[in-house]
Amino acid sequence: MASIRKSGGDNLLVRYIILVSWTLVCVVPILWFLTIGFRPRTEIIVPEPIYWPTWSLDAWRLLVSDWPIALYLRNSVVAVAGSVVIDLVLAIPAAFALARYEFKGREDIGFYILSTRMMAPAIVAVPIFFLFRNIGLLDSVWALMLIYAAINLSLVTWIIRSYMLDIPKELEDAARTDGAGDLTILWEIMIPACLPGIITAAVIAAIFAINEFLFTLLIASTSKAYTMSVALANFTGGSDGVIYNAIALVSFIAFAPILILVILIQKHLSRGLTMGAVKG
Amino acid sequence: MASILLKNVVKSFGSFVGVQDMNLDVVDEEFLVLLGPSGCGKTTTMRMIAGLEHPTEGEIRIGGALMNDIDARDRDVAMVFQGYALYPNMSIYENIRFPLRMRQVPKAKHDDLIRRAAEMVELGPFLDRKPGALSGGQRQRAALARAIVRQPQVFLMDEPLSNLDAKLRASMRVQIKHMQRELKVTTVYVTHDQIEAMTLADRIVIMNKGVIQQIGTPDDIYSNPANTFVAGFIGSPPMNLIAGTAQNGTFSAAGVKVPCPASLSGNITLGIRPEDCQVGGDNLQGQVYGVEPTGDITYLTVRTANKNIEIKAGREFRAPIDSAIAVGFDTTRLYFFGEDGNRVGVK
Repeated sequence: MASIRKSGGDNLLVRYIILVSWTLVCVVPILWFLTIGFRPRTEIIVPEPIYWPTWSLDAWRLLVSDWPIALYLRNSVVAVAGSVVIDLVLAIPAAFALARYEFKGREDIGFYILSTRMMAPAIVAVPIFFLFRNIGLLDSVWALMLIYAAINLSLVTWIIRSYMLDIPKELEDAARTDGAGDLTILWEIMIPACLPGIITAAVIAAIFAINEFLFTLLIASTSKAYTMSVALANFTGGSDGVIYNAIALVSFIAFAPILILVILIQKHLSRGLTMGAVKG
Repeated sequence: MASILLKNVVKSFGSFVGVQDMNLDVVDEEFLVLLGPSGCGKTTTMRMIAGLEHPTEGEIRIGGALMNDIDARDRDVAMVFQGYALYPNMSIYENIRFPLRMRQVPKAKHDDLIRRAAEMVELGPFLDRKPGALSGGQRQRAALARAIVRQPQVFLMDEPLSNLDAKLRASMRVQIKHMQRELKVTTVYVTHDQIEAMTLADRIVIMNKGVIQQIGTPDDIYSNPANTFVAGFIGSPPMNLIAGTAQNGTFSAAGVKVPCPASLSGNITLGIRPEDCQVGGDNLQGQVYGVEPTGDITYLTVRTANKNIEIKAGREFRAPIDSAIAVGFDTTRLYFFGEDGNRVGVK
């Protein structure tokens, strides 16, 4: 017994060493990156790295005074949040119908919806550009909202559908015999019961939308409609050459919300990602 | 409070026929149990009464009114499900309140009705909890409270006890029966557990492969099984069925010889209940295959001609395996079934 326990202890130690090392591998670059944003510009272009930073808010001041970061952030938030709302409003009833109603071609429609995800976005880039030009929505954050919603709608529908398939049919039968109609069942039973799935889908859609680059670049022809992802790519720090500490800070600002979202829902995230793929 | 009538009801799923030409009359205030193995169509029958499935053919009436085209939500039936089906996001109080809200019962009455229903199933202290914070038995009681709160015309119960452990099942059984008598609501109860059926039912309907095998009181079903299916399904252990031949008033099979009505001849199956056999006698010769003492009774399995016969022997009975044994039958309690499985030779 003693030897078993001892080897168990050894295992634990080995495990901790591996986990701690891996954590460092993952976290240190992020922290290093963050410190760059809070160092003076001169400290990061020296040949020998300086490990302990001299804290400085230079980059932050530069950002706030010279660069419309507030506008870009606002554009990101408006386009992403709006697209997620549109997705949920459309996807929840669609998912309910695909999960619960029996109608001809149900599986085909489900597959078609998913198949829109399989296409390379570049294929539709040109048509979409002309479409939005013709309806006069170029260079507008509303256009981005619509595009993000369209891109993610299939995925959101599919994830919510998978969660709905997991809700026992009995619940719905019970509600029906209790006197509830379809809308009541959707609103009072299904949505609350698969709320984790809806939140997961919303967060995944938000992450994809925040990171969306191609269509944003295409639609936002001037910086008026830039979101963080495109603004970041165009950002060099100003007229004085490439300013790395400002870039690092902007990158971190763009990255932080996603990190926070992922940490908040990490328990559901892997399930959400695999379920849409596996169940059908 | 209403009668239920099923007339020539058929339910098919594609080419598979789930329920075949079913005729059933459930009397007002009756406790009717649908009993059968899984896949026999009992749950489908119940779901058709609830309005969750639509019959392919035939008529369903509740309280005399034709229900075929009436939605589940508009039939005044309450259903209790095997998996409880409590709404997980609502408290027990809200769960019980849900049918009242859906049926536009005046709000002022809600609290009183909910508390009375909860009292009835002894769930008063748990009303604020979510279903997840209750035990299985409490959840099923909450589901019962949700069913009784709006005093429906009909209760439908789909294996409500099968997720509970044996002890809890026994106490819930008594509670359900008591409640049904008190509320006087016509009840249809689906189960595959014959003990539940025997203890709860006013009448039992035994089904197999979508066809009603027999309808009768528990006593009737036990003492006068209509065919080999019913005989082999009811009883624990079930009736022994021995295939053999009848000739000149004697039934014989390998190792078995008993008198039978003189009218019988040809291939006949003999049925004898384990409690109607005793050790010692001259009806069956065989070897002891197994002895299982349980305290109040000893189950003895006798093997004869590649067939095992179950016998309820006295509590003291013990015998070594493979020893020769002679068994006697109570010849006033023999059952004979013809080649089609139906009972024959009834006086």
